[in-house]
Amino acid sequence: MKTLFSKSIQFGIIAGVILIFSELINLTSTFAVILEKLFNSAKTGKTASPLAIQILTGLVVFFIAYTFLRKKNGSKSHTAGQEIGSGLLMGITAGILISLLNVILGTYLAKGQDIRNYLDAVSPEVISTFLFQTDIANAVIRYFIATILGGLAASLLHLVSSKTNVSGKISKFIQKIVQQSKIRIFLNKYPYMTTILTLLVVIAVFLLPVLVNAYAISVLGIVFIYAIMGLGLNLIVGLSGQLVFGYVAFYALGAYTFGLLTAPKPFGIEMNFWPALIIAIFIAAIGGLFVGVPIMNLRGDYLAIVTLGFGEIIRILINSNLLADFTGGPQGIKNIGQPTQPALTAKIFGKPFDDNVWFLYLILILFLVVLYVVFRLQYSRTGRSWEAMREDETVAQACGVTVSSYKVLAVVIGAAIAGLAGAIYASRNTYTGPGEYAFMVSVNALAVVVIGGMGSIPGTLLGAFIIKGLPELLRDLENYRMLVFGALLIAMMIIRPEGIWPVKRRTLSVTPESIEVLKKDLKP
Amino acid sequence: MTTKPAYVLEANNITISFGGLTAVNDVSLQVPFQSIISIIGPNGAGKTTFFNAISGFYSCDSGTVLFQDRPINGIPTDEVANLGISRTYQNIRLFTNMTVVENILIGQQPRLRSTFLDAILQTSRNRREEKQSIQKASNLLDFVGLSAYADDMAKNLPYGAQRRLEIARALGNNPHLLLLDEPCAGMNPQETAAMIELIKTLRSQLKIAIVLIEHDMKVVMNISDSILVLDHGEKIAQGTPEEIQSDQRVVEAYLGSGTENLVEKYSQRKAANRKAVQPHVF
Repeated sequence: MKTLFSKSIQFGIIAGVILIFSELINLTSTFAVILEKLFNSAKTGKTASPLAIQILTGLVVFFIAYTFLRKKNGSKSHTAGQEIGSGLLMGITAGILISLLNVILGTYLAKGQDIRNYLDAVSPEVISTFLFQTDIANAVIRYFIATILGGLAASLLHLVSSKTNVSGKISKFIQKIVQQSKIRIFLNKYPYMTTILTLLVVIAVFLLPVLVNAYAISVLGIVFIYAIMGLGLNLIVGLSGQLVFGYVAFYALGAYTFGLLTAPKPFGIEMNFWPALIIAIFIAAIGGLFVGVPIMNLRGDYLAIVTLGFGEIIRILINSNLLADFTGGPQGIKNIGQPTQPALTAKIFGKPFDDNVWFLYLILILFLVVLYVVFRLQYSRTGRSWEAMREDETVAQACGVTVSSYKVLAVVIGAAIAGLAGAIYASRNTYTGPGEYAFMVSVNALAVVVIGGMGSIPGTLLGAFIIKGLPELLRDLENYRMLVFGALLIAMMIIRPEGIWPVKRRTLSVTPESIEVLKKDLKP
Repeated sequence: MTTKPAYVLEANNITISFGGLTAVNDVSLQVPFQSIISIIGPNGAGKTTFFNAISGFYSCDSGTVLFQDRPINGIPTDEVANLGISRTYQNIRLFTNMTVVENILIGQQPRLRSTFLDAILQTSRNRREEKQSIQKASNLLDFVGLSAYADDMAKNLPYGAQRRLEIARALGNNPHLLLLDEPCAGMNPQETAAMIELIKTLRSQLKIAIVLIEHDMKVVMNISDSILVLDHGEKIAQGTPEEIQSDQRVVEAYLGSGTENLVEKYSQRKAANRKAVQPHVF
């Protein structure tokens, strides 16, 4: 009993602190506005209505209280009265905390003091929104109503669900659906259906550029460029198990090589798109060789630090005034060449595509080529050797894997793919500058690989959509976009630590032959 | 045409020391073709170190290792595997996040020729090799009796099966010599009997020479042609199982000198325990 009492207060305090924090950074009202928009599409403006804030406050308490009750019940069961009391206690505790904050803020407001000097987001308008445009006492009552209702609702729901075991039944039901889903059985029965489905998806993706608006096209372009990068980094980190941090260096090498070869300044070579692209890939691969050989004998964190240094060296070099005659220095390279559309497309479709649509198609095609290459590599002797190295380097070598050359090979191929991504990126923007090759690019590429699932090809594509696409979908959240994005990433990694789409092993075995074959086979 | 060497492996006067500690001191061993040789000795006798020396994990401070009359001192382990020596490990070391078949495919690495370019371009060599190696892996799995697990993750296999898988992986590169580090450790009597059977078949059917480290004397005495006994890094005896069993130095190494008094000491201690006031203290 005593533990239930103190634990309830503890969780009430947690709920209260979350509420206070959200209010201080003005997150609550942003969410409240989104909540309103969900139910009332006519809603305009950015001021949250009192009801929405109240509901949101109640929901926070509700979720915390429900989580607490569900976890608590695992060890021992409580009577209905105890549970309701616990919910009530949590509601009151959270209510006291949030009210305290509002009383303080309200007093400041009444005195006419501006506290934006200390808390940036808390302007007088925000405070009056949180006070529901009434006086302090009224607001406090409303907050208490919200939190107590939240706590009570949680305890009631938990009582009902534990008595009738509704949640258990629901989760079993869901499990059943997932396990025995008709689709999966169907697919197992007709393997070619998988191929058809894949084809449909590919066709849908290829129709995308003509269907969506210009903004979506630019987002999709970035997503697929990151997907290409992710596929390359996946070879290095996911398969061969080398934690390379300075991946952006190869990206920059590709972009700058391409830029210098096609731009009118500083060299005025103005080469065609395709030969320049191939040279860019080649130069990036050579960069990979230069990095790969010295790091061949490093492992784990040492490797990460060394490659991190390499990434910074490249960034500082392209930024330096010393090399400004060759790289454009801080100003970067302007007027980078773009590919011309073949006359064929104009003939088939009547008129040429818009430039951005055409470029998205180009990115898609190059993405598919890279996809094919990495797919072939992963399911070959080479890919298996990389994976064996990742699992146990010493044993892999004792099994006959020439570890050092395979390591370098992974870095070189990964670098070449990054070079390709960089060249496309530079060409797409017709500009490249040192500001674009910050450390964050490496981190994002790594996040693409980790979120999707190490070593998983479809996972990488999914990861690219999440890392580069999701923030765009979260635009409604305005300033809190990255905060929510970060929270989502954390949640995803907790729920699925192996990544969203972990690697599925292939079934390879075939029917064995007689021992005589083996004897002949193994004859030394 | 060169004459066939007399021994598949010859280790001559091997010495290995770590800092001041001499782990293996002047040990020699000849392994004839198709023989089974056991290395025994108390814990810390230098058995695994000696093993690591002949499989290329450590380089010897002095002495030579000849594999079919070819010196293999100090060459990297992947080349050792290439020549036809494979090994298993005391604490099982599989590629845990790969399937059973994939593990054996890695074992075949030295026998495969296709490169990454073959893989990207899907050349006929790549397809042929892929098909052949998967067939061979399945055959090997059948041989060690693990066909049922073929597409499971290696980490999900039961303990005994993991030991067998390690052997199957080691067979992938068509070895002339197989080094087994405690193949029966932690097994129950049935599993041990099955393992003995497997090791015997390896020799009789596949004509492979085997060197093994083992603590289980039943296994050692059952299958060995010859036994090498190490103690404190030195070779104290070598001979047939019968000779080793009656060797006084071996008995001393295992039980300590003055063993004749052991029974007496044991009964004295038991009596003392009985007299003790608190029966739970020991």
